Amino acid sequence: MTKPWTVLFAPSGAGKTTILRLIAGLDRLEKGKIVSRAESEGELVLADTDGRVHVPAHRRSMPMVAQRPALFPHRTVLGNVLYAGTERQAAGRDMQLDALLELCRVGHLRNRYPSQISGGESQRVALARALWAPARALLLDEPFSGLDVGLRDALIPEVKEYLAARRVPVLQVTHDVGEVFAVGAEVIRLEDGRVAAQGPPEIVLERERTRLLRQLGG
Amino acid sequence: MDWQAVELTARLAGVTTALLMLVGLPLAWWLARSGGGVMRPTVQALVGLPLVLPPTVLGFYLLVDLGPLTSVGRGLVRLLGHPLAFSFEGLVVGSMLYSLPFAVQPMVAGFAAVDRQFGEAASTLGASPARIFWGITLPLARGSVWTAALLTFTHTVGEFGVVLMLGGNIPGATRTMSIALYDAVQDGQYVDANRTAGALLAVAFAGLLALYWRRGRGVRGGDLV
Repeated sequence: MTKPWTVLFAPSGAGKTTILRLIAGLDRLEKGKIVSRAESEGELVLADTDGRVHVPAHRRSMPMVAQRPALFPHRTVLGNVLYAGTERQAAGRDMQLDALLELCRVGHLRNRYPSQISGGESQRVALARALWAPARALLLDEPFSGLDVGLRDALIPEVKEYLAARRVPVLQVTHDVGEVFAVGAEVIRLEDGRVAAQGPPEIVLERERTRLLRQLGG
Repeated sequence: MDWQAVELTARLAGVTTALLMLVGLPLAWWLARSGGGVMRPTVQALVGLPLVLPPTVLGFYLLVDLGPLTSVGRGLVRLLGHPLAFSFEGLVVGSMLYSLPFAVQPMVAGFAAVDRQFGEAASTLGASPARIFWGITLPLARGSVWTAALLTFTHTVGEFGVVLMLGGNIPGATRTMSIALYDAVQDGQYVDANRTAGALLAVAFAGLLALYWRRGRGVRGGDLV
């Protein structure tokens, strides 16, 4: 991926989640190589089955928002988000944290426990937690699927801006056409485990878009 | 009642529990995480042995192997200045082996019951395995850690066979409550025996009651063996 935000589009069961887990370092490759090429640090081999390289997940700096939010049940919303940060004591940290919580619309929930908030709220907290972590890249597994469309469309540009300011690229996987157009990013279309097409969503997902518009038009 | 035996029993159970938690925590963590291969079932079988083995067998081997007949035993005599058998330290070693499954198994169950997704999320956020253990897994499995400590303590209080084989019957050093009870019955001292037996019953019941009460109030993860 070379663009700031890339979407991997494929039907359910095509192995999208597996790809993210391999990149995150949660699963091991059977054969192959994963390389990160960031502007700031050059080429970095994260996994290589030939060279027997496997950088463990916690050293990859690739926070992942999974389909299930996986909030730590014994920590508050704030405690969950702060778990992601290393002991950053930089000036203005509290202001940055407040801004991030507001961005994800969870500021009012900061002292609640995960069992006391809704599914959509949990998903936004998981997003905030991942955004607070030190990141080489952000991995998103259908992170907006539990949110209502209005909130999703309001949230996405702000998340984009936040990440662009920190130069953190995003790899998102989804099977939801609406989500792809809402993000408006480079799309890689997977079919039978291979890249079938790559480019802007209007071109790569033209078939789906036409069908969707026809359905809407009645 | 033989108050010296009460004090000794409490001290033995306390020391055994404290040491066994230190040994059992990493062991349980390893057992809960380790994958295939022969190592895991072998270690599990070894840990579980005291559940099915007569305590006298355990006591016998410890008596022989830690005595002056073996190099290990001779080394211990040189180190401690006295044989491990027929001493408080010897009882601690025997009790730790005897209660090992009661410490390890609830914690293995507890650690294994913590959903993997929490550890995975934490690791992508940059948390090391050690930080995940202390900050996520252990707090989420704390119910089973308390269960392990409670069971180890009560089980050690009620231990008899190992103490009899390994410790003998030395007041203040190896004469625990269960031994005192046995002695009292042998001597026909039924009033005294009744008090000691009642005290042991009360400790065992109180321990289990505390365990289930806690579970009843919504503390998760505290499976009884």
